[in-house]
Parts: sequence; C-alpha cells; structure tokens
Amino acid sequence: MHIILIIIIFSGLLLTNEVKAEPVKLKVLCTQYDHKESMTNKLKSKENIKTKRIEIMKNLKFATFLLLVAMVGNESMAQNLTGQKIIENVYYRSTGSDGTSELSMHLIDSRDNERIRKIKQFSKDFGKEEKSIMFFLSPADVKNTSFMNWSYDDASRDDDQWIYLPALKKVKRISSDSKDDYFMGSDFTYDDLGDRHPDEDTHKLLREETIDGQQCYVVESTPKDEDYMYSKTITWVIKDIWIGLKKEFYDEDGDLLKILTVKKYEKIKDYWIISNTVMKNIQDDHTTKMILSNIQVDIGIDNNKFTERTMTRGL
Amino acid sequence: MKRILNWLLNYSWLSMILIVLISVFTFYWMKTNTTMETDLDEYMPKNHPAFIYSDEAEDIFNIKDGIIIAIENKEGVYNSNTLKKVKDLTKELQKLPEIEKDDVTSLYTADNIVGTEEGLDVKAFYKKTPKSNEKIYLLAENVRSNEMVDLRLVSDDETVTLVVANIHDDVFSQEFYQRILDISHSYEDDEHTLYVAGTPIVEGTLAYLAPKDMQKMVPIVIVVILIVLFLLLRSVKGTLLTFFVVIISTLWTFGLMAWLNIPIYSVSTMIPVMLIAIGVADGIHLFNHLQLHISQNPGVSKKDAIKNMINHMASPVIMTSITTAVGFVSLLTSQVYPIKYFGLFTAFGVMGAMLFSLVFIPAGLMIFGLPKASKSIKESKESNDNFAYRIAAFLLRHKIVSVYITVFIILISIVGMQKIWINSSFLDKFEKDSEIVLTDAFINEKFGGTSNINLILEAKQKDQFKDPETLRLVDLLQKNIEDSLDVVGDSFSLADYLRRMNKVMHADREDYNTIPNSKDLNAQYLLLYEMSGDPDNLWKVVNYDYSKLNVNIQLKSDDSKSIRSAIKIIEQYEDRFNELGVDVNYAGSGYKALVFTDLILEGQISSLILSLLIVMVLLSIMFRKIIVGLAATVPLILTAFISFGLMGALNIPLSTTTALLSSIAIGIGIDYAVHFVEQYRLNVSKGFNPLKTAQYTMYHSGRAISFNAIVVIAGFMVLLFSVFPPNRELGALISLNMFTSFLGTLTILLVILNYSKVFFKKKK
Repeated sequence: MHIILIIIIFSGLLLTNEVKAEPVKLKVLCTQYDHKESMTNKLKSKENIKTKRIEIMKNLKFATFLLLVAMVGNESMAQNLTGQKIIENVYYRSTGSDGTSELSMHLIDSRDNERIRKIKQFSKDFGKEEKSIMFFLSPADVKNTSFMNWSYDDASRDDDQWIYLPALKKVKRISSDSKDDYFMGSDFTYDDLGDRHPDEDTHKLLREETIDGQQCYVVESTPKDEDYMYSKTITWVIKDIWIGLKKEFYDEDGDLLKILTVKKYEKIKDYWIISNTVMKNIQDDHTTKMILSNIQVDIGIDNNKFTERTMTRGL
Repeated sequence: MKRILNWLLNYSWLSMILIVLISVFTFYWMKTNTTMETDLDEYMPKNHPAFIYSDEAEDIFNIKDGIIIAIENKEGVYNSNTLKKVKDLTKELQKLPEIEKDDVTSLYTADNIVGTEEGLDVKAFYKKTPKSNEKIYLLAENVRSNEMVDLRLVSDDETVTLVVANIHDDVFSQEFYQRILDISHSYEDDEHTLYVAGTPIVEGTLAYLAPKDMQKMVPIVIVVILIVLFLLLRSVKGTLLTFFVVIISTLWTFGLMAWLNIPIYSVSTMIPVMLIAIGVADGIHLFNHLQLHISQNPGVSKKDAIKNMINHMASPVIMTSITTAVGFVSLLTSQVYPIKYFGLFTAFGVMGAMLFSLVFIPAGLMIFGLPKASKSIKESKESNDNFAYRIAAFLLRHKIVSVYITVFIILISIVGMQKIWINSSFLDKFEKDSEIVLTDAFINEKFGGTSNINLILEAKQKDQFKDPETLRLVDLLQKNIEDSLDVVGDSFSLADYLRRMNKVMHADREDYNTIPNSKDLNAQYLLLYEMSGDPDNLWKVVNYDYSKLNVNIQLKSDDSKSIRSAIKIIEQYEDRFNELGVDVNYAGSGYKALVFTDLILEGQISSLILSLLIVMVLLSIMFRKIIVGLAATVPLILTAFISFGLMGALNIPLSTTTALLSSIAIGIGIDYAVHFVEQYRLNVSKGFNPLKTAQYTMYHSGRAISFNAIVVIAGFMVLLFSVFPPNRELGALISLNMFTSFLGTLTILLVILNYSKVFFKKKK
C-alpha cells in the first residue's frame, strides 16, 4: 500500500516540477504536500466539475505532519488500511494540474421533466489558489453566461465568485455562505463535488465488498460537526484506483437521502477521471446526471484565462 | 301487506325478540367496526375536473396549507431572545415526523437576497442567534429592506414574527394539533405570546368538533323528544315503543354502514337527527289513530283495535315512508360521496322505521297491552266547539285568505332569496369569540392573510414565464388585486423574485424594482438565483420548464364572497392572458372548498327538484289523482321557499349543513301531506260533506301532525344551545321547516283539496 502512496507523492513531485515554473522551495515534504494537495483538489474538481470554494487544508504544518505520519504509519500498517486513509487516498488522487471539459448537466424532476445545461469549463491550480471558469453553452437564453470561482488554500478566506450576465453586460460578484448549498440547482452540494476535506469527518472501514465487479472498501464517514446536513455517508471506494464508485448520503434523521453512482471513469493521460455520475435524491425523487466530454488534462491553460475580461468576452 | 301484518300479530313475541336480537347484534357490529372519517379531502369528488387540476397543481408546486405560528413580543421581535425562540421553534418543527424540513419557513430559514455594491448576496438572515446590538440591528435592517420577507414574516409594527409549517392535510389530527399547541406554549414566557392558526387547524378542528358536538347534543335531543312525546301521547307504552322504533332503525342503519365498511362522515352524524324527526312520525300517527279509535269505541278488544290501526294506518305509513325514502335517494345525484351515502342510508333508516312501526309497535302492543285512551279526546269527542273543527270551518270560509297569504309569503321569500349567498368558509363555522377565530383575526390584522388561493397560469410554450410581457401582466394583476381588495393582503409569484433580483443587481435602486425588459436577462437572473439560493423555493412558484406559474394570493378571510371577489378581478385579466397564449386556472384548498360548496349546492338544488317531481308523481299514482300530487307538494315548496327566503333576509349563508336541510323539509313535509290527504280521502269515502270532511280530517290527522311537529320542534330547539354554530343553525332551521310544513299542510293543502273537490267527483 505504501508503495502506491509513494508513487502518488512521487508523481505529484514530478508534476510539480512540470507545472510549476518556479517551484517554491520550502521543506521538500512541505512543497510536495502543498502541490500534491492543491493539485489533487483541482483535478478532482475537474472530474467532478467542481468550481467553487475548495476546502483546503487548514494548517499546512499539520498537513505535513499528517502526511509524515501517514507515510510512516503505512509502513507498519501494511495491509491494514484505515477508513481515514482510504478517504484521504480518494481525496488526494491526482487528476492533473489543469484541464478543460464540456459538462452536460441533466436535471430530472420527479415527473421526469428534464432540463439540460451544457457548460464549457476550465480550471487551473495556481498553488495557493485554485481558479476555474465556466461558460454556459445552452440553453439559449443563458448562453455565454459565465461564472468564475477562485478558492484559496487559506481556509479563513472565502471563495471569490463572479458571474457575468450577458443580458446585463456586467460582471457581478456573488457570494453564498454555505457548503450545504446545492450546485446550480443540482442534487450535488459543493461538498458532494469533492470539496469536503477528510478531516471534517471520522472514517470507519466497515468491510470490503465487490460491486460491479470491482473490489471496494466500504467506508462510513460521520461528520465531526453535529449540525452538518448529513448524519453520515457510506462510500464504496475502488481498491487501488481510489475512486468512490458509489456513495450513500444519510440525512439528519439518519434516513437515506441521496445515492451517488459513478457510471463511467476513464484513464486520461495518467489520471483516472470520473466522466459520468448520477446523483439521485431518494426523498425528493430528483436526479442529476453529470456527463463530461472532451476532457483534456495538463494542457497548460494560460494564467490570464481566469479574469473578468475573459468572462465578458465569452468563448 | 296488511294481511301479513295481521298474521304477524299471532307471533308478537317472536317478531319482537327477533328484532331486538338483530338490533343487539348490529349494535355490537357497529361498536367494533365503525370508523370515523374526519379528513375533509375525502369529501371531495376526486374525479371532478377542478379537483384533478388542483391536485395536480398542488403536486407540481408543492402547494400545501400552512400551520401558522405567530410569536408576539410587544417590545419588538428584534432581540436575541425572540430570535433564539424563532430558531429553536423552527428546528423543533422541522424535526417532527409530520413536517418536512423544507416546509418550515421563518426568519431563520428565509433566504435573504441582498444587493451589495459589487453584486448579489444570498444568505440566511442568521445562523447563530445574534447577540450584539450591532448584529441585531443589521439583521433588522436586512429584513426591513427585503420586501420578499418583511411584512411576510415580520409584522409592520415589528412585534410579531411568523413560523409557518406547511403540511399535507391528511397529516392533521387532533393529537398533532395538540402537540403543536404544546410545543408553541412551551416557548411562551412573560415577554412572548404564541398563536397557532392556519387552514389545517381550522379544517381539522372543524372536522373534529362537528361530530363531537353532535354526539353530545343527540342524547339531549332524545330526552326532550321523549318527554314531549309522553306529554302528548300521555302513554308510557306509546312513548317507549315509538322511541324504540327510532333507536332500532338508527342502529340498523349504522350497523349496515359498518357492515359495508363505509366510514361515518361528518354529514352522516346528521342521520340520527333525520331518523328521529321522521321516525317518530309513524309512531305518532299510529298511536293517534289507536287512541282515537279506542275513545270512539270503548271496550274494543286488544287485537281488534290493533287490527283496525293496521288496516287504517298501514297505507299512509308505507306511503309516507316510500315518498320520504325516495326524497333521500334523490341525493344520489350528488357528486359528493358522503352525501350520496347520507341519502342512501337515511332512506334505509326511513324504511327501517316503517317496518318497525308496523311490526314492532303492534307486537309491543300485543304483549304489553293497549294504551289508555286519553281523557281530552273523550271530552272533546263530537263537540262542535272542538278547536280543530273551528279552524277547519274558518279556513274553508276564508279560503281566499290562505291563498293570498301563501302567494304573499312566496313573493316575500323570493325577494329574500335574492340575497342568499353561499359560504364555503370553515372559519365562519366557529363561534365569533372562539380562540381559533380570534387568533386568525390577530394574524390577519398583522399579516397578509391566513387563507390562500393559487392562481395557476399555464402556457402552451416552454419558457413563456421568462417572457417580460407575460411577467409584467402577472405583476400588474398582483398589484391590482392587492390594491383594489382589502381582503387580499398579499400575493407572491415569480415576478417578485425577478423584481427583487433586478433591484439588487442594480445596487438596490428602487427604480429597478421592476420586471426586466429582456427574456434573456430574466433567464440569467433565474440561473443566478438557482446558483446562489435555494432552487426549491423557485419550484414553488414556477414549474421546471417555465410553462406553468403559481401565483399565491393571500386572503384575510376564507369566505366565498372574498374568494369570489378575488377571482372576479383575475377574470378581468383572463382575455389578456389568453392573448398571450396563457390559460387561467385555480388551485389550492380555498378554491377547492369553493368548488366543493358549489357542487353540494348544485347537487342539493337538483336533488331537491328531482325529489319534488318524484314525490309528485308517486302521490299522483298512489291517490290516482294528479291534482293530489300537485297539491301535496305545495306545502313542501312553501317550506323550501320560506326557509331559503328567511336565510337570505337574515343574511344566513348557505353552507353544506344548511343546504342539506332541504331534504328534511321534503322528507318530513311529505309525511304530513300524505297522512292528511289519506285521512281526507277516507273521510270523503265515508260520505261526509266537504265541511265535515275537512273538520274530521283536521281533527284526526291535524292532531297527529301537530303532535309530530311539536315533538320534533321541541327536540331540535335543543340544538339552539349547542356550542357549535352550524349545529345551532341546523336546530333552528329544522324547527322552522317543521313548523312551516305543518302550517302549510293544515292550511293551504286543505284549501286546495277543498277547492279542487278532489275525491268528491266519483260520488257526484
């Protein structure tokens, strides 16, 4: 197991060298971690179309310490993976340093009415911050509406968000104060899209199980904050690939609320990218499908892409 | 038939025991199997287009009735203590299994869409209860500047704030209501008073109170009837036998209902009332005849007297029962199932009462012996200054007066009927100073209104409700209806969202508090809202593809006049909406109640006319004279006219309860007419002249009819002391109907019979 971790970290290091023109030289591990972490975040955000507010490590030193412990601990634990470890592996799985894709978001209500939104999105990791920008392709009445999100490593700093409404011809800042918010009227909260840091929950490995022919770890995660919108989640994590193939969300009363299913994941360059997911809200009978196409990773997106000017210019 | 009845006299014990045994059995059946149905929705005809539409719209927009809890703090609600109570109460309600989390609205859950210098901000007014004065001041300012929330959740004088929990009406029960009350009261202290109101409370309490009050009143009615019956018949045997007939027929009716697994609806609680009023008539007429016969033939044997009674009275008793039953069966034309059942089972009970009157009473008399002839009868026998004789003579001398008076009364009644109105209000059924009415008035005074109607606009095209022209018309309609009707306190639609967004996106400038000019901008605002707010709120006012819109209109009263006045204004816009390709429809509990009331009345009026016609035909056949059929319905028509005319004149609205009363007017009125005509015919056939015929008929039949009227009127006057206003109205109106039927039969019917010289022709 620790070999994989080392490989991941190593690949992170390589990536760091690749992407970063002028790597910040802190303590090696620190840098390593920093990049690893933010990159994973960004890439993961790509696979999950995450755009807003990435919850970043609260404390870099603490993270470093954790990583050290993890590496050392791994040695002795060998085959005995903890729930915490598994979820971290998922969280830190690398998906590239920048990327673009077309997202088609299907919102289906209980009467099977379907609304489809097509979005072109770009994202890039800037080290201390993660920037993403998205343009609506359809429906026609919101075409060229664009949305930009900057999220920061510094957990005390809120994400910055802008929206450009072409009919108003103005870029406006928006803000919203909750991670429980649903992303664009979908069944995904920002947290569900991969924003939730492993340390916010306590994780317990329940069992190992084979679903869809994949060997999975079944991990139960219980939030440390009692007021959180879920009382617990259960994730089926594919061994060695570290993709959460399926996830169940339980509401405050402990009833099953939503089920997330990964329908498709593919290997693009060296990364496992999730490209088709379905989130079904059992209680409201509402479904969101997110389908990614034209996925490109590590293409070296220009830093100037992520500005208000780009937003107004459209695609 | 008479032969069978006479033959049965030989087996009195057997028939008596059999009837009692079956009754005991049905009683146990009833006790174990009876269910009550208190959900008012179960009354609605599910397949009626208006209901189908409304249910569908309710489903699409998640339209539910709200339980409104008002928290009052006379010092103002903007303080840490009150805000904490709002938060805690909201959370406690959200945790109740009957309430969905998203369905609780309060300052704690409301979205605050605010404009900042740079853009838009959607967030909660507070998460943690604000402690510092600055924070509380900021919160207050946020509320004050947000017209989507201010005055909707906080009153103008800032002393009251609302927590609204929307529930499905099938969720409501008395236990649930009690729990809500208990929870609310637990938040009260020296500073805070809590009030609970809203449509589910009103409807639920009504559905619970009406049968409960009836349960309390019926025994008193029975006791009074027993006493009056005894005073009139002067016979314990007669009183008890008559009384048992009524009780047994009621038992069998409810037993049958339980056996068929049909629940007791609140209208069904009126069945015993009907059966008491109608059932005693048979007994009274039988005993009346028996007593007259005994007094006229002293020393007659028990069996002969009973046989004479059967021979003379079986026909009128059977005839009256059939005509009455037919009157109730005509309620099957109603679209409302509980009313169909009501008609059907009352008819069954009436037939039961007939059977028991003809079998149980003679059997009882065989076993327990004849009653004593009353002294008053003996003394007045053949006396020329007999009161009845004098009245009959007087009536025949001044026939034209009766006709004039009748015509005059009908004309007056028609005038009164012009003013009659229908009320679907549930709240109006409560005492004016009851807590439920006062609470409702309090919240209506402080806020937009406790009652809702939902205007559903439906476009043929997708995305029509992003179109500025359509939205502006909606906005205009809302403004117009709010400004021109005092009863409309507030309205809410997608237009409010867009106006708010537009204003906020233009740095809170009031001149942008309008619907944006471009469809794209509307679409983009809505997208923005979905991205920053709670899109579930949006789906309460518009459907997924923006082809259906829900405009919520809040009313301060749930009476039909108010709802109709709002609909009238909406109708003025209908053409303009149609031009845009938009259909106008309605939904929600207020509207359903309105349609429902109309349905009941429509059904009521059609079944009234139908039963009149049937009765007319039946009587024409029974007496083989069309004129008799026509004449017999005159007192009935008179009764109905006076009843409706008086309601109009006294401003008593027609409601589901009062409308049903026309059935009793016919059911009982026809009995009087049949007995009277039958007696008249008998007297004619005995060869008396018109005056003597009239006098004997008045003496014999008139006595029984007035006994019957006195018993029932006395019995139902008791309901005037009910704590439940609809039951009081019921008592007053039944008494009135009985009185006019009684009076009409003895006067105008006699006059018409005399005029028409009916039955005399053969002789001449």
